[in-house]
Amino acid sequence: MASTFSDPSPMILTNILGRNEKWAEAMNDATKGQFFPKSAEGQSPKVLWIGCADSRVPESVVTNSYPGDIFTHRNIANQFHPTDDSAVSVLTYAVEHVKVEHVILVGHTNCGGAAACVKAAEAAQSEPTSALDRWLGPLTELARTTTPEGDLTALVEANVRVQVSNILASDVLEREWKLRDVHVHGWVYELETGKLRDLGISAGRNGPLQY
Amino acid sequence: MTSTFLPSPPSKILSDLLNRNEKWTEANSGLFLQETQSPKVLWIGCADSRVPESVITNFEPGMIFTHRNIANQFHADDDNAISVLIYAVENPKMRVDHIIVVGHTRCGGVEACCKAAQADDSPPANALQRWLAPLTEFARNNGLGGDLSALLEANVRMQVDNVLKSEVLEREWGIRDVHVHG
Repeated sequence: MASTFSDPSPMILTNILGRNEKWAEAMNDATKGQFFPKSAEGQSPKVLWIGCADSRVPESVVTNSYPGDIFTHRNIANQFHPTDDSAVSVLTYAVEHVKVEHVILVGHTNCGGAAACVKAAEAAQSEPTSALDRWLGPLTELARTTTPEGDLTALVEANVRVQVSNILASDVLEREWKLRDVHVHGWVYELETGKLRDLGISAGRNGPLQY
Repeated sequence: MTSTFLPSPPSKILSDLLNRNEKWTEANSGLFLQETQSPKVLWIGCADSRVPESVITNFEPGMIFTHRNIANQFHADDDNAISVLIYAVENPKMRVDHIIVVGHTRCGGVEACCKAAQADDSPPANALQRWLAPLTEFARNNGLGGDLSALLEANVRMQVDNVLKSEVLEREWGIRDVHVHG
């Protein structure tokens, strides 16, 4: 069977490495050699960003942040599952070791993961057959039970609310809140405009917060 | 116990981020016409704030599909990372050609494994310890507990190997080539 796919091009990697080299040089020049040695000493970001793996939502680009500003976990459809060691270990490290002050859960419009859940919710319920199906199980259930059929943005927002609520209910925060406050927020990134929108659902150890 | 960590004035950090975002959208208004993404690369990197893939490669949004976790792991039983790999590789709108596992120097996760490898072997007590157990065991079995840079490179090789052995790639290689790098 003839392949319709071309082989991976090595040019892509050459391009990435080339761009990185230029960027590192420019950063070095712009900061008179100060930035990297200082950055290497340690990180002290104030923010943990839990967002989508979607290539269009690189947290540090869309907030024009520097390396060192935002501790980041990105997965399919910006999930925080209480039983997921990956996300829980990120939260643990960020909160207990790095001591971030804010956890921001960021969804985005036109999310492919959320769209897949809308489709799956419209189909007959069936057992998940892959890691991706399992991963999107809770979001599919949310699509099935709470959001108007086919309304993707409504599901994206509902998803952000649920994930924020999962984080607020985590053992990690329960423990850390005995020592200090940590705030949790829910945002949506709008692909159409590049703008971040705060859903106004922020909360800390004393409950809901006005931001 | 008095906390030494007082939250900064609550609104400042968040309003800084939102203001910077607004200025960035104004400066880049041409970018937002793209309806779908078609990145050619999946980046599996560390959550460390100092390694934002798109900044350090000076790429616009839309170029690098990204998964970041503690110490850039790819575990064969981790639904989180595997679902990212499935989506990046199999989704007809995506079909990345390259997967790049990226470790970094001064990795706190790798450092934690070095320390744990030098301590007594004990069962993991929490999610973070469970998460770092494979790398800790590797460090212990290979006498790398005292050598951070050797362990961080060995870690990248191990994760590349895990990706190469995945069922996802085995399936996709039946249709087209996908390259993995470290």
